[in-house]
Amino acid sequence: MRNILVLGSICLLLLGCAATAGDLTTTTSPSTAAEIRWVVGTGTTLKAEAVASSADILPLAVGAEVQVLENAGRWLKVQSASKERGWVFAGRLSAIPPVTEVAASEGLFAAAAQQSQVEIAQADSARSVRGLSAETESYAKERGTPLKYRQALDRILARQVSKGEITSFMRAGKLGEYAQ
Amino acid sequence: MKRYLLILCFLGIAVTASAAWMDQLQKLADPESKERKILSGTTQVLSSSKEIDYTTERTIGEALALESMQRFGRPVANESLQQYVNLVGAVVAQSSLRSTIPYYFTVLDSPVQNAFAAPGGVIFISRALLETLANEAELAAVLAHEIGHVAAKHALKSTQRAQFFQGVGTITAATSGSKGKEYQALIGDLQSKLFDQGLDKGMEFEADLAAMETSYRAGYNPLAMIRVLERLQKLEASSVKKGSWFSTHPPLKERIARLKREEGRYPDAATLAELPERFRGKIK
Repeated sequence: MRNILVLGSICLLLLGCAATAGDLTTTTSPSTAAEIRWVVGTGTTLKAEAVASSADILPLAVGAEVQVLENAGRWLKVQSASKERGWVFAGRLSAIPPVTEVAASEGLFAAAAQQSQVEIAQADSARSVRGLSAETESYAKERGTPLKYRQALDRILARQVSKGEITSFMRAGKLGEYAQ
Repeated sequence: MKRYLLILCFLGIAVTASAAWMDQLQKLADPESKERKILSGTTQVLSSSKEIDYTTERTIGEALALESMQRFGRPVANESLQQYVNLVGAVVAQSSLRSTIPYYFTVLDSPVQNAFAAPGGVIFISRALLETLANEAELAAVLAHEIGHVAAKHALKSTQRAQFFQGVGTITAATSGSKGKEYQALIGDLQSKLFDQGLDKGMEFEADLAAMETSYRAGYNPLAMIRVLERLQKLEASSVKKGSWFSTHPPLKERIARLKREEGRYPDAATLAELPERFRGKIK
């Protein structure tokens, strides 16, 4: 009787292992009852109605999670982490989370530390105004890169488009939430 | 008798389980299998914990941008065109999975059908490729493909040399003095990857899918990515191959076939923006 129990246990163990191996190929993320999406677009706001001209309820930071309550095609009714409800253009959300920036906590190469997306964007905007970095100038000097290429890259890095220009461009092209 | 039956039963189950494991191992060995991709995704997540920060990435990108202009040509001297390409790029970038870093889009005066991204968001498209496109949605698709590479940090993940940054105190120390030569070797390695060997096939397919998804989120017809590849397919026989999308990317036929499998995910694609007039007004 004891032998039967031991054999039975081994069989069950093997079956369990086989089942686990099969699951490895199909399970990629835990399932949740509520549909969750992540904010990917900078400047995303929760809107009172499902139109771009509607009043803003709340700004939503890149990486914020929202719960989908209702799907109206290109607009989704969602609930924020702070339980505020409103509408967001579907193109500003993704079913997978955005990239989280790796930031240096002190110096430039210290251990990776998570920094808020807003801080990264602000730091980089300030940096982008400066054009070519000192390290790149040094690299160009070492390599004997002709001045015309250094000047060309300087102009590339100095070229910026403002949020206002992007919005006007989207409106004119009826893009994204400005589509009719 | 009963004992023999039990032993047989045990052996039968063990053989079945072993066969299942062998099947899984065989699938993992196949680079195109779903199982291998899941495993590959896991290793990418593990390696991402050792990623370098944005400032370093951007510095590498700047050096690579200097080298690439010497190889392919300087920016086209048309500020209105450069501004337009930057606006299209900005619209797509803000819908990408990495929207918080600044991006710079530049048309290079090159006859080679090419577009490429330096780490950190410095993105180039050749004059030849721009002139091959038919509308703004196609331009958005090409730029979104390159943004996909930047977001996933494909270039840096494809060189082991990037690891020399670990343990170096500051970026200045890593790019000058005794480390300067290693830094230059890293830039050389990246040039070779981007312009000669090409990135891993899987990375290119990933960027193609990201292009469709990102341009769709921005409001452009996502099927424009397929149209771009079809246009290039027609030009392939008569085009310069060296340093182009033809030599550094997977075969166009394979890329088109893969993207066509995704068409069903965008039932409203035909209703989305393509903007051929606005595009032609800027390109001419």
